[in-house]
Amino acid sequence: MKPSRKAVVAAASGVAVLAALVGCSSSPGSDAGSGKVTITIGNRPTTSDADNRAYYDKQVKAFEKANPDITLKPSETVWDASTFQALVAGGNLPDVLSVPFTEPQGLIARKQVADLTDALKQTKLGGQLNPTVLKVAQDSGGHTYGVPITAYSVGLVYNRDLFTKAGLDPDKPPATWDEVRADAKQIAQKTGAVGYAQLSTKNQGGWMFTTQTYAFGGTIENAAGTKVTFDDTPSKDALQALHDMRWTDQSMGTTTLYDLDSMAQGFAAGKIGMFMSAPDQYSASVVTNGMDPKNFGVGGLPQNGGDHGTLSGGSAEVVNPDATAEQKVAALKWIQFFYLTKYQDQSVAVAQAKAQAADKQPVGLPGLPVMGADQQAKYDEWIKPYVNVPVSNFDPYVKVAADQRIIPEPPAQAQEVYAALDPVVQAVLSDQNADIPSLLSKAATTVQAKLGR
Amino acid sequence: MVIREQAPTVPEPVEHRATTRGTARPQARRRNRFAAWYRQGGPTVVLFALPVVLIFLYFSWGPIVNGLVMSLQRTNLVAPAQWVGLGNFQYVLADPALGQATVNTLYFTVLAIVFGFPLPIFLAVSMAELRGRSWIYTTLAYLPVIVPPVVSILLWKVFYDSSADGLFNSIFGLVGIPPQPWLDSPATAMPSIVLEATWAASGTAVIIYLAALTSVRTELYEAAELDGAGIWSRVWHITLPQIRGVILVMLLLQIIGTMQLFTEPYLFTGGGPQGATTTILLLIYNYAFVNGDYGAATALSVLLAAGLCVLSAVYQFTTRKWSTD
Repeated sequence: MKPSRKAVVAAASGVAVLAALVGCSSSPGSDAGSGKVTITIGNRPTTSDADNRAYYDKQVKAFEKANPDITLKPSETVWDASTFQALVAGGNLPDVLSVPFTEPQGLIARKQVADLTDALKQTKLGGQLNPTVLKVAQDSGGHTYGVPITAYSVGLVYNRDLFTKAGLDPDKPPATWDEVRADAKQIAQKTGAVGYAQLSTKNQGGWMFTTQTYAFGGTIENAAGTKVTFDDTPSKDALQALHDMRWTDQSMGTTTLYDLDSMAQGFAAGKIGMFMSAPDQYSASVVTNGMDPKNFGVGGLPQNGGDHGTLSGGSAEVVNPDATAEQKVAALKWIQFFYLTKYQDQSVAVAQAKAQAADKQPVGLPGLPVMGADQQAKYDEWIKPYVNVPVSNFDPYVKVAADQRIIPEPPAQAQEVYAALDPVVQAVLSDQNADIPSLLSKAATTVQAKLGR
Repeated sequence: MVIREQAPTVPEPVEHRATTRGTARPQARRRNRFAAWYRQGGPTVVLFALPVVLIFLYFSWGPIVNGLVMSLQRTNLVAPAQWVGLGNFQYVLADPALGQATVNTLYFTVLAIVFGFPLPIFLAVSMAELRGRSWIYTTLAYLPVIVPPVVSILLWKVFYDSSADGLFNSIFGLVGIPPQPWLDSPATAMPSIVLEATWAASGTAVIIYLAALTSVRTELYEAAELDGAGIWSRVWHITLPQIRGVILVMLLLQIIGTMQLFTEPYLFTGGGPQGATTTILLLIYNYAFVNGDYGAATALSVLLAAGLCVLSAVYQFTTRKWSTD
């Protein structure tokens, strides 16, 4: 029997679909053995960010010219918690990607990033990185899984305009939590704005409560990450301080749920006097939400009963766990070329600063040195003509941050710890009769049960 | 199709012959059936359906089966997964957050059904009664559905500002009601979410009920009017019984939909305050995308799906009698 035309069409489309399905699961070919190596690199700026994209593309070409054995495949992929796991599962994770400082420890624990220890030894990069900052991307055995490219320590961001209106000196932000409380009360009474606010939701509540606990001299977990340690006096004092500002002084307003977005919006709109954040908050406040740059102020993290330290923030480059040894070395070469050459080469520093300034991105935000302090100083000197942020507004931060101790995030299951601490902060802010010791011990039990997993 | 119409005539002689030949009967019948199926264009049908079936299997059932498998594994999606048996299920069942999330989800479902379910029926019946310019009411009712959820939720977040100058609180202030905490208190957060969700979702239900109402025979109303029935007894005795099939299906859909609440708590509150709006789906999201624990996330998803299957079955069983017309 001659097959009908219908049958042929159906068969053809069936085969086509099968081919498509098979095509989905085939992996890209590798060019191992030829001495050439190809890596995909993330964080290519989008078309809406034309200047930075042009700069990025130019650097890709320059890198490939300087390293004829390495082929780069740029991708616009950026870090996003909700798509990262899908990228990993689908094998579409770029070989190099920026992640915020909150992530490396979790990625290391889940073995979703490559161990760069050997590759760092092979390239010249190994010994040049600032060891204090590098800790965010190291495990307890000293293995390194990422390269920090920008680093900040958490401080106190404040609205200089509200400080002035409240009769406070905008050049003298509070240095202790007692002063925070007094200033917050004064701002609330004199201006009607919220004196002090604190992040409280989407795990950011636990994250900032961790910072506050550090400032009160406490810890969240023991060094090995096996035991919960926040059920103690410093954490209780930190919560009590929040409770007193919220309920006794009425200086924290009535909103109890803040995430980074709503905080940045409220702050930029002049409705919030102070909150804990790093200098890079400038971008969210001024660039995204249109705050007047001259009103943006930042100081060091206020301390309680001594100089205890603060939490760090920033971003690090990590490498795909499936990368080969050659790809890891190539990835490190690219990271060094694109993100870190500016600390060694004046022309690169200037070109990057120019591109950022042209794109109205802030140039000259203070931070922690990711390489040596002397290299950082040289870099700061090179980009001076292009600085577009009010430098003197950052002085109170710079003065304190240089010597302040940096404490890393809790070593084990940080995100789950933060998730368990969110409701503690929310309870204190929404319930006048919240039982602080019982809230903390309940959260400690929850977290302790998760530390074993 | 011509071939189909001829089909019944083919097996008849086969059967007749088969009865006389004893043992050869089933085999011959099978072979002839196959031949008949072949002649009738069976292969064409199969080939024609193949792409759709394959796509459906790969994209619809693939993830479901994958999820089932993953719920029994511990995986970082890079290295080969480890089998952990029911370990993930034990873990999620022991998580103290699950109890609260379940209570929250059921609380939302109950509130959404009690307040959100009758409203569209009421609106649809009233709108069907109105003569002329009915498109205006339909449009007004459906408009909230057209607004993208993220936009409407962010708008309502502004309305719900708990300070005295928030939109709702200002309106309350005009009539002397003190400012309400809305999303900022564990007691009022969930009802606030229900209010927004009802506003956002009822438009679709109204349209469906309006369509169902057109099938109600008008002579029933005329007869009832002649018998002296008022508007309420007409609605109660004619309208509602006539559309009860649709009402029951909508109720089931709404129960399943509300059990899968995610967008609103995620955008409004992030699950707070104090976990008062953490739903099961938000918990699943946090397991997967915040903690990177795919095993726990899929295990809880499987539990939720199983719960909803049981619920649907029980629902079908108990309402079978009422829904038959």
